[in-house]
Amino acid sequence: MTSLSVANCTVSFGGLRAISDLTLTIPGGTITALIGPNGSGKSTFCNMVSGQIPPNAGSILLDGVSVMGLRADQIVAAGLARTYQVPRVPKELTVGEVIGVPLRYVRSDRELPRKMNAAADVARFCGLSLPLDTVCAELSISDLRRLEIARALACKPRVLLLDEAMAGLSLADTEQVISLVREVHAVGITVVVIEHVMRIIAALCGHAVVLNNGQLLAEASPAVVLRDPAVREAYLGKGFAP
Amino acid sequence: MSGNGFLVQAALGVAISAILALSWDILSRTGQVSLGQSAFFGIGAYGSGLLTPKLGVVFGWTAGILICAVAAILIGLVTLRLRRLYFTIATLSFGLSMQVLIVVTPGITGGSTGIMPPVIMGASPPAQLLLITGLLIVSAIVSDIFLSERYRPAFFMIRNNPALAASSGVPVVATKILAFAVSGMIAGVAGACYAGLYGYVIPEDVFTPNWSVLPLAVSILGGMDTTLGPILGALVLRVLEEVARHFVGGAGYQVVYGAVIILFIVVLPKGLVGGLSQLLHKRTRKPVQISRAEAAS
Repeated sequence: MTSLSVANCTVSFGGLRAISDLTLTIPGGTITALIGPNGSGKSTFCNMVSGQIPPNAGSILLDGVSVMGLRADQIVAAGLARTYQVPRVPKELTVGEVIGVPLRYVRSDRELPRKMNAAADVARFCGLSLPLDTVCAELSISDLRRLEIARALACKPRVLLLDEAMAGLSLADTEQVISLVREVHAVGITVVVIEHVMRIIAALCGHAVVLNNGQLLAEASPAVVLRDPAVREAYLGKGFAP
Repeated sequence: MSGNGFLVQAALGVAISAILALSWDILSRTGQVSLGQSAFFGIGAYGSGLLTPKLGVVFGWTAGILICAVAAILIGLVTLRLRRLYFTIATLSFGLSMQVLIVVTPGITGGSTGIMPPVIMGASPPAQLLLITGLLIVSAIVSDIFLSERYRPAFFMIRNNPALAASSGVPVVATKILAFAVSGMIAGVAGACYAGLYGYVIPEDVFTPNWSVLPLAVSILGGMDTTLGPILGALVLRVLEEVARHFVGGAGYQVVYGAVIILFIVVLPKGLVGGLSQLLHKRTRKPVQISRAEAAS
């Protein structure tokens, strides 16, 4: 299954290096957690690989094929989709129209999993029980989060990046989104989860990569990574690490 | 002028406003709020006016409108990276600089003395009205195409959140330039109509910022993001103008006319079409059904 790797990537904003000579691989077929303290470069990583902020240097490979220099919409067509932490959809559009945009525009010969072929199927798969003609202005935060995942899934991705897809959800909603992510993974999509809640990471992810100061700090299974003194120090500061 | 003659002239004016307003509205659906429609209006007027004597009406107009498309693509490439207000200011200055371009090139464009393009349809107002109504219908069809499922959601997504549009596979830059080119061409059609109706074009008349503000006012009054809105807006604006002229007269009517427009916008923020559809929605909405379970609890 499809892997995502970056090699020697750097993203600078003026004097600040948000990503600094980063080399890492998200193994194909995993649910990988991308974690790290605030400002460690997780969101920049997301924006970098999805083509929103091209790196100043380095290379990005999707299943061994370079996607460097491609526009964001071309990277989506190549098979990498992402969700946004703050789901800001045009409030006058309906649920069906939002899911319909990638269904119409993503140029790829990949197919939707499980013989889904319309916005309604994608919505149902993602647990959106509302009618498709509901306008986004009327959606709750948990439905907006599901819609954002549905929109990304409609891009027919091989790799899916979820940027804090469970932030602000109730426990019950979080459980549902966790099982949704498991199902997405089960249909053969490599999933990258950016998340702060360790309980979710432990429940969901088989692999974890830790960023700090725009560099790779550790990578292993979540259990191992969370015991790593260097990781604890990055999160809690010197002296708090056992 | 007979009563009928007046009505035909008024209808011609309304149709030109409506075409121009549609051109503005199509562009605004991608978040590009233009104050430069006068540039394309003028280029359409000058392009068709200068080329019709050489190429005939059909090819002269076509060439004039294609020049608008080329100009729109070039300007679009420069301005598409500008956000919101900066884009608007850039389009405004484009409109103003086009006027200067005409004035400083008298050898090609006739300069400030203007040109006298041939009058269309044998100068018969009813025939002219038929042609321009036909062009309005074509513009309305184009507008409706861009309100279809293929374009509307993508356009609104670009306007609201371009990053999200790109992440949904929409080629944002190409789509914005497409909208700009189509908008420029339709504004050019309006300009060509103007030149072909009046047979006399000077730079101050076609590049005046009035032609940039008018489509904006018409679309907002009638209802943005619709095809009916700009058409209805053009009609209502004209009626308001005549009513104000009749009852107030002099130059004072323009103050009343302006005040009435402001009033409309305050009362109907979604325009006439938005207000009407809300009214219809309220009337047809069924009373809320309370299920037995809910009623029991």
